[in-house]
Amino acid sequence: MVGFFSLCSSTHYYHLQLRNGSVQYELIRPIKYRPRSIIRCCSTTRGKAREDYYQVLGVTVNSTPQEIKEAYRKLQKRHHPDIAGYKGHDYTLLLNEAYKVLMRNSPRNAGASGRGFGRGFTGNGECVHHAGETFAMDDVLGSAHVEVQFGDQEQKIQVAVESCPVNCIHWVMSEELAVLEFLARPQQKEAHGVFGGGWERPRDVFAAANNFTKRLQREEQQDMARQQRYNNGKKK
Amino acid sequence: MTEQLYTVASDSETTGEDKSQMSFPDVAIGIDIGTSNCSVAVWTGHQVELLKNTRNQKGMRSYVMFKDDSLSAGVTGGATREHGHEERDILSGSAIFNMKRLIGRMDTDEVVQASKSLPFLVQTLGIGVRPFIAALVNNMWRSTTPEEVLAIFLLELKALVEMHLKHPVRNAVLTIPVAFSRFQQTRIERACAMAGLHVLRLMPEPTAIALLYAQQQQQLLHDNMGSGIEKIALIFNMGAGYCDAAVAATAGGVSQIRALSGSTVGGEDILQNVMRHLMPDFDSLYAGQTMDRIKSIGLLRMATQDAIHKLATQEHVEINVDLGAGHKVSKILDRGEFEKVNQSIFEKCEGIIKQCLADAKLTPEDINDVILVGGCSRIPKIRSVVLGLCKKDDSYSGIDPLEAAVSGAALEGAIASGVSDPSGSLDLLTIQATPMNLGIRADGGNFAAIIPRNTAVPARRDMLFTTTHDNQTEALIAVYEGEGNQAEDNHLLGYFKITGIPAAAKGTVEINVCMDIDAGNVLRVFAGVVKPQGQAVPPFIEVRMPTLDDGHGWCGQALAKMYGSTLDLATIPKKLHP
Repeated sequence: MVGFFSLCSSTHYYHLQLRNGSVQYELIRPIKYRPRSIIRCCSTTRGKAREDYYQVLGVTVNSTPQEIKEAYRKLQKRHHPDIAGYKGHDYTLLLNEAYKVLMRNSPRNAGASGRGFGRGFTGNGECVHHAGETFAMDDVLGSAHVEVQFGDQEQKIQVAVESCPVNCIHWVMSEELAVLEFLARPQQKEAHGVFGGGWERPRDVFAAANNFTKRLQREEQQDMARQQRYNNGKKK
Repeated sequence: MTEQLYTVASDSETTGEDKSQMSFPDVAIGIDIGTSNCSVAVWTGHQVELLKNTRNQKGMRSYVMFKDDSLSAGVTGGATREHGHEERDILSGSAIFNMKRLIGRMDTDEVVQASKSLPFLVQTLGIGVRPFIAALVNNMWRSTTPEEVLAIFLLELKALVEMHLKHPVRNAVLTIPVAFSRFQQTRIERACAMAGLHVLRLMPEPTAIALLYAQQQQQLLHDNMGSGIEKIALIFNMGAGYCDAAVAATAGGVSQIRALSGSTVGGEDILQNVMRHLMPDFDSLYAGQTMDRIKSIGLLRMATQDAIHKLATQEHVEINVDLGAGHKVSKILDRGEFEKVNQSIFEKCEGIIKQCLADAKLTPEDINDVILVGGCSRIPKIRSVVLGLCKKDDSYSGIDPLEAAVSGAALEGAIASGVSDPSGSLDLLTIQATPMNLGIRADGGNFAAIIPRNTAVPARRDMLFTTTHDNQTEALIAVYEGEGNQAEDNHLLGYFKITGIPAAAKGTVEINVCMDIDAGNVLRVFAGVVKPQGQAVPPFIEVRMPTLDDGHGWCGQALAKMYGSTLDLATIPKKLHP
């Protein structure tokens, strides 16, 4: 039971949204009540990553508020219950929520740069200040990271999570923690002569983790298959 | 888009044989029941058409006349031309009007109190029950209810529409004031049901106007390809009974309601203020309703109404009326005096607009168009107040102030009935917003808003609560609607109990309360225990609100008296919410 991120929650959420009507019961029992633990940086609102809201509206993270508005209206026109009937209800709820979150967090002045938030590891150590037992500054990377899972009282952690200026702390499932921790560490890049080289971290650590687990599974399967063939061979 | 026929699933389908119904998609009609005037419009296949009554009027006076055994409403305005009702007859006490201000209100409501000076009987006991209203028939008060009066009116209206369309009508979209509580909305629905109409939507009046505006903008776009940029309109609607404002952002045929606000203030208040100004001892003179007093009030009312209408274009007006019994009013009323008398009303209007702009997070410079509608928009002071606040020189001219709301309702009726128009003039959508906070009672007598006002509909929000006593096994969810910070200041919509909460120390149990509003503005509340989890917790409860019937003013007090704070809940600070 230790945690790190929560992309899984959002897919789970869609799943429920799309089945309809009677799923209320599960719907309002979202992922946050499951056993979970902390924590890391990137951006969630109640277990749903901003990225998913961008996906809902079909816009990129670099979209201006104007583009978000247009996308929202276009989708509303297709899915609003006035037009699509009651089956549009759940989807419209999702649209409304996505719109609200994205519009709220994209200040007008951020329109120019196109990026109102940073997925990133800035040198801001607000969370360290609020929950020093859990988070620690990493001088090399210039960002805070989780030193001890649940090092502080949950309340303090909450404050830290909320204070994060770049919304980069996530609750994740404990199983995934190890993978994410590993991938978030800078890796040495392959160098081609004078090009490349140096250290890098995956830009999207969640996606990387996904790929990573998939690769692990594939390798496992291959291993199994090989083992089986080997066994079969022995039998003969 | 595929054309869908809208079918009403709930009502028993007894009229299955109608051939005309088969050939006509059951397009909902649009009805605007105003406090003083009423109109009805239909989508004819390519445009909205307002229907006229036998007297060739589009706006029909809203009243129902009680006479001997027959009833007749303002739609026909009396059976024949020679027996037509004059304003004098309407004010004789035999007719009930202003139903819209009375419907769904308790007798402690100040609006009901103010209605006591109307010519018909409004009796109150001041204990939070429905007022007793009655019309004068053969010198006797005959009792009725606002719902009944409205139903009679709607029945006549329905007959008028069916006569025009030559096929039965079942669905309707009605406009309602923003200030209407959900309880009042159920009363309107009940009146419609009594008249045999199924309410497809209840639309706040300014949003109906916003839809019409969106259509006009869309057409402009088609005609001379004006750029598809977003336009923001402030809509101010003031009729005889209510005053509403809305900010709508429109682009590409979609109008998004950014903010709504409204109040029960209108032409009726202005009228009463002026009447009291003309007759300073109005209240003592007309304390009890006798035959001569009713007649006298009627005369004063007519004279005052006439004067107010004239003041819209004239600087001053002369009032000369003999009220009988030695009372006489002869006075010259000028505009300045009129405005001074109604100062508080104009201030309220100002407040509504300011709140609306603040809620929409907009400054007057962001507003592209100011749309002024409703009967009171003709009053010069109202115009100057609204335009002044929005820093505009003139209002939007493309909309008829008296026909806008009903046209918007008819458009919405066509859209929600699934009609599609090849020319694209129905390629529209209004994204509604909730006009009032919705929440439950928590932390003692406080009001915890779960869905804040101006949330886009459909909406679903949830919130966590916890118990306030150790081993508390039951909790009361009392659902309120309104703007007050105290639960008691708001309208109680309903209540239910969660039972079987696992025994635990106070503050450890988590109870989730979720509210869901669908596009038809139906509110459902879900509640249940989410922590601890397992088999020991009771199932969730789903309740459709409002559940309360008459006498809802009492329920809150009765609950407090019976249970005190034993079933109370407390809010949990929100988690993981930036």
